[in-house]
Amino acid sequence: MEEWRGKSVNMVRHIVFWLLGMTFTAFLGGCDDHKARIIPVEDFFSEPEKTNFKISPNGKYIAYLNNYGGQKNIYVLEPDKVGQEQRITSETELGIQSYFWGNDNELIFTKDKKNDSLQVFAVNRATLAVRHLMPASSVKLRWISPKVIDNGFLISLNERDSSVFDVYRLHTDACKKELVARNPGNIIKWFADLDGQLRLALASDSVKETMLYRASEKDAFRPVMSNSFRNSIMPIGFSGENKNHVFALSNINRDKLALVEIDMETGEEVRIIYSHPDVDVDNGGYSSDRGEMSYATYATWKQQRHFLNKQTEEVYQAISQKLDGYEVSILDRDTARTRFILRSYTDKDPGATYYYDITEDALIKLADNSPALKDCLLAEMKPITYRARDGRQIQGYLTMPVKAKGKKTPVIVYPHNGPSDRNRWGFNPEVQFFANRGFAVFQVNYRGSTGYGKEFWSSGFKEWGGKIQDDITDGVRWLIDEGVVDSSRIGIYGAGFGGYSALHGACFNSDLYACAASYSGFANLFTYLKEVPPHLKPYLQMYYEIIGNPESEPDLIKAMSPVFHSDNIEIPVFIAQGGKDSWSTVNETNQFVQKLKKRKIPITYILREEEGRYFRNEENRILFYRELGAFFDKYLK
Amino acid sequence: MTHRRNTYRINYVLVSAFIVVVIASFVLALILARDLTITYVENEFASRKVEVLEYNIGPFNDFFQNRIPEISFYQGYLDSAGVASYADSVLQTYPFVERIVFYDVALSNSEYIDYGFSANSLVVYPKGVYQFSQHNKPDSQSTATNHTTQLPLSLSDDFNNMAVKFAAFIERVDTTKALRDDDIFKVFYSVTPGKISYMNIPRRDDLKTYKELMYRKHLHDAVYEQDILTYFIDPNKLSLKNTVPELYQHIQIQPLVYESIDTDPDLFTTETPLPGALADYKIYFSSSRPFLQTEINRRFLPVLAGVVAIYLLLAVIAYLIYRNLYVNKRMFKLQYDFINNLTHEFKTPVSVIKIAGNNIKSAKQLSDNERIHYGRILDEEADRLNNLMNTLLSFTQIENKSIKMEREEVDLHEFCDKVLAASKIKYGDLNIQCNVDAKRTLYIDPVLLNSIFQNLIDNAYKYSKPDNKVLNIQIAQTKKQVTMRFADKGIGIAKKELVHIFKKFYRVQNQYNQQGSVGLGLAFCKELVNFMGGNISVESELGKGTTFIIIFPVD
Repeated sequence: MEEWRGKSVNMVRHIVFWLLGMTFTAFLGGCDDHKARIIPVEDFFSEPEKTNFKISPNGKYIAYLNNYGGQKNIYVLEPDKVGQEQRITSETELGIQSYFWGNDNELIFTKDKKNDSLQVFAVNRATLAVRHLMPASSVKLRWISPKVIDNGFLISLNERDSSVFDVYRLHTDACKKELVARNPGNIIKWFADLDGQLRLALASDSVKETMLYRASEKDAFRPVMSNSFRNSIMPIGFSGENKNHVFALSNINRDKLALVEIDMETGEEVRIIYSHPDVDVDNGGYSSDRGEMSYATYATWKQQRHFLNKQTEEVYQAISQKLDGYEVSILDRDTARTRFILRSYTDKDPGATYYYDITEDALIKLADNSPALKDCLLAEMKPITYRARDGRQIQGYLTMPVKAKGKKTPVIVYPHNGPSDRNRWGFNPEVQFFANRGFAVFQVNYRGSTGYGKEFWSSGFKEWGGKIQDDITDGVRWLIDEGVVDSSRIGIYGAGFGGYSALHGACFNSDLYACAASYSGFANLFTYLKEVPPHLKPYLQMYYEIIGNPESEPDLIKAMSPVFHSDNIEIPVFIAQGGKDSWSTVNETNQFVQKLKKRKIPITYILREEEGRYFRNEENRILFYRELGAFFDKYLK
Repeated sequence: MTHRRNTYRINYVLVSAFIVVVIASFVLALILARDLTITYVENEFASRKVEVLEYNIGPFNDFFQNRIPEISFYQGYLDSAGVASYADSVLQTYPFVERIVFYDVALSNSEYIDYGFSANSLVVYPKGVYQFSQHNKPDSQSTATNHTTQLPLSLSDDFNNMAVKFAAFIERVDTTKALRDDDIFKVFYSVTPGKISYMNIPRRDDLKTYKELMYRKHLHDAVYEQDILTYFIDPNKLSLKNTVPELYQHIQIQPLVYESIDTDPDLFTTETPLPGALADYKIYFSSSRPFLQTEINRRFLPVLAGVVAIYLLLAVIAYLIYRNLYVNKRMFKLQYDFINNLTHEFKTPVSVIKIAGNNIKSAKQLSDNERIHYGRILDEEADRLNNLMNTLLSFTQIENKSIKMEREEVDLHEFCDKVLAASKIKYGDLNIQCNVDAKRTLYIDPVLLNSIFQNLIDNAYKYSKPDNKVLNIQIAQTKKQVTMRFADKGIGIAKKELVHIFKKFYRVQNQYNQQGSVGLGLAFCKELVNFMGGNISVESELGKGTTFIIIFPVD
C-alpha cells in the first residue's frame, strides 16, 4: 500500500513537471507554434524598448532611446562595430523626450517636462559631456528645423505669451537664444529654407490660412496667398533649385491634394509634380538637405510611392529585394545617402527597424517593433468597398480573425477618430488585439474622412450625427448582407469621434449593435465645442460650420449629442474616460453612467482622474484594453 | 378495580383534560393573534408613510436629479429660445414647478461693464433675465432687462446669491483637481424652501480660464457664458397619491406648522416632512378608528383561518389516534375471547379424560364393555386434543409462512372419494354429495388441501340443523382454473357478518358454536388457500345455506 502510494505521488509529480515543462516551452516559444492562441494584452500595447533610431550625418553612428533606470536615455551604436553600444546620457528622473544629431559628435535633446519647465541640452557622444543650451523656463517648445546650421537652429517658444509661439535661433556655441521673428498671434507654422533662414510662415485665423513669405530674414513677411479652411495648401519645404520656390500639397482649384511647386514671389503654382485621380497625395519624400522631392506618397487601399528620383527608387528597390513581402519606409539617412534607417511592416506583422548600407548591401536588424508579437499568427486586413444609401462609394477594411468564435464571426465595428482622419492599411495593434480574440474588425472611411479629396471631406460637415453615422450603419448592413459575420453579435468601439459614433450607435441603433464601447468619446457636443475659447471667433466659426452652431442651432447639437439620449440605450455600454479630458467633462459622463445604471443597463465605466484624453500611463492602457477585451468577450459571446 | 390494570381501559379524565387544554389554547391563540394584528397595523400606520412619501416625491426627485443637471449639458449655450422649449417640457411634466427664471449670464474681464457682480477683474452679469410660467405657456412672458436698467430686486436676489458663491468658488478652486461632489452641490445649487437655483457646471478648463479672467492673466477681452435657472416650486401642486389606501384614510400636503384642530380621540394622525425645496411642507396622514378597525379585521381574517386550520388538523390527528386505539382494542378483545374459548375447548376433553381415568382407577374390576367404553373415550378425547393442537400449530406455521408445501399431482376424483369415505365415518348423518368434473390432475399439496376440505365439511356439519345436514361439493375445471363450491343448507350467515368471517378469532355469535370453536377454521382455510395461490369467497343467505367457493389457478 505504502509503496503504491509512493508510486502514485511520483506519477503525479511527474505529470505536474511535465505540464510545467509544457507551459514553459509554450512561453519560451512565444508564437512559434503558430497556433491562434490568445495573445496577452501586454504584447499588443506595450511600448517597444528601443525607439527613435537616428543616424548621424556622417552615417557612422546610430542613436536611439532605450530604458535606463526606468527612463528613456540616449544610446549610440556604431553599425561598423556590431555589438558595441554605449549609453551616453544618465537621466534617471526625467527621461529624454526628443533629440536629434546636432553634428556628428553632439546630440541635442530635451527632457520630459516637469511642472511645465523646459530645458534644452547637448551631449557629446564621445566625452558624454552635457551642456545646457537653454536654462529651465516654463514654456513650450516646438521644433522648426531640427538641423544645426552655422552653430544655430530654429525653435519656437511661447515665452512672451503662452498662446503664441515666437521663433528663436538657439546658438549651440554661445548657448544663447536670439529672437528671429515675433508672432503677431496668428502664425501657426514656420518654415526655414535650406540655409536655415526663416522665410515662410503659415498664418491662420482657422477659417482662412495665409502664406507669408520673405526673400531673406532681413525683409519683413508679406502675405502671398490665402485660402479658406475648406481648401488646403500645405508647404513641405523650399526647393533647392530655385530659392523662391517651395514644394507644397495643394487642393486649390482641384478636389484632391496634389504635389505642386509654388513660386512664392508671385504665389502662383509653377507646376504640378504629381497628382492622383482618386486620392490625395500625402506628405513625403522631401529631403531637407538637398531641397528636392524624391517621391510622392498617396494612399489608395494601401500606401503607394511614386518615385521622382532615380537614386531613391534604386535604394527602395534594393531594400525591397532584401525584405520581400514587406512594406518599407526610410526613416533616416546620412548626408551621403549610402546608409539608411528604415522600418518594415505588413498588416500582419509589426515589422522591425533596420540599418541598411547600400554600398555594402548590408541589412542589419536594429530592433523588432513589437518583439512580443514576433512570429505570431495575426489576421489579414482586406480592403473593401460598398455604396452608402445615397450611392456614395465608401472604402474600408475588414480584418477576419484567424480563428473565429462560433460558426459565424462576431464583429467589432471600429470607426476611426477625427472625423478628419482615415484608416490605412497596415499593422494596427488594436485591430489585431480584437482579431486575436476571435472578432472580425470592420473599419470604414466614412464621408468626412480625409485623403479622398475635399468634396468627400466636406460632405461630412454638419453630418456628425447624420450621414456619417448612416455611412457606418450602411457599411454594417453591407457586411451583414455579405453573410460572413453574425448579425446578432455586432459591437461598436471607437476613440474620440469613434467613441462618439459608438455612443450614437448605442442611442439610435440599439437593434443593430449588441454592445458599444467608447474610449473618451464625445458624449456631449456642446462640451466639445466649448473647448474652443470664445475669443478665437473665426476658429469657432469653422467648428460651427463643421459640426453645427450651438447658439443658433441648439436643437441640432442636442439631437446628435448622446448625453441627451441615454434613455434610448438598451444595450451594454463600456465607457473609458480620462479625468482631464477637456472635450468631455467627468460630471457629464458620471451623470450619463448613473442614468444608465438606474435603468439597469449593464455598464463598464473606467474613470482615470489623472489621465487626459487618452490613457498615457502604460498600466492604465493595459487595464483599459483588458477590460475592453473582457467586455466584448462577455457581450459578443 | 385492580383487575382493570391489565386490561384495556379508557381514561375519561385524561380525554376531557386534553379537550379542555386544546380549546383553551385555541382561544388564547385567537386572542394573541388579534392583539398582534392590532399592534402591527398601528405600527404600519406610523411607518408606511415613508412609502407614500417616496412615491409622491418620485417626480420631484426625477426633476431634481435629471432635469436640473441637464442644464449643464448645454454648457452655457442656452438662450431664451432654448430655455423656452426646455421650460415648456419641464412645466408640462412637473406641475409643481410654478415658474422658471432664466438668467443668461456672462462672465467677462472687460472693464467697461458697470453692472453685475464683480470680483477682481471678473465681472459676472446677466445679459438677460427671462421668466417662464405655467399660466401663459405659448408666449412665455419675457421680461428681458436692458443692459442699463437695474434688475427688479426680487429677481436679482437669486442671481446675486449664485454669482457671489460662484465668484468665491473660482477664487479658491484648485483647477488641477477634479470637482468634488460636495463642491458641486454647494456652488452650483442653491436650494431653499420653494426655490431651486442652478448654474451649469463648467468644464475644468473653463474654471481655469475664469480664474485667469479674475486675476487679469487672460490677455484677451473675453466673454464666457453661463446659465443660471431658478425654479419656483409650489409643493401644493405636487400630485398626491395614496399608495397605501388601506391604512391612510386621508392624506394632505400641509404647511410644516399645521396641526389638526380636530379633537376626536378616535382620529389617528401621523406626518412626514418633505425634503429639499419642498421642506416647508409636510404630508399629513389621518385615519379614523373604525377605518383602521376594518383594516385590522381584514388582516385578522386570514390569521383566524390559519389558526382554525391548525386546530382542525389537530382534531383530525386526534381522531386518527383514537381510531387506531379502537382497532387495537377490538384485536385485544378477539385475542382475549380466543384464549377463553381455547381454555374452554381444552377443558372439556381434559375433564372427560380425568373422569375416565378416575373411573378406571376406582373400579375394582373392569368389564370388557367398560374397558372398551373408557378406551374409546380416552382415544376420542386424545384425538380431539391432538386436533386442536394441530390446528393451532398449523395456523401459527402458516401465518409465519414456515410450512413447506409439498406439491404433487393430485387426481381430484380419487382425492374426493377418500375425503367422502372419511367423512362418512366421522359424520354419519351428514349427506355429502360430490360431483367432480375435472379431466386433469391438480398440482397441489394434498395434505393442505385435505385440511381445507376437512374444515369446510366440519363447518357445514356444525352449522346445519340436525334434520337437514346436507353438503354438496362441486368441482369444475376450466382451462385456467379449478373451482370448488361447498354448498350447504345450514343456518346461513348474516350479510353484515360476511366480511368478518375470514378474520382470525372471529366467531358468529349463535347457538351452534357455543363449544368446540376457537374462530380459527375459516381464517386457517383462507390462509391455506392464499398460501397455495388460490382464492376463497363466500355467498350466503340467512336461513337457507352458505356456499364457499375456492378457486385455484391451473398453472
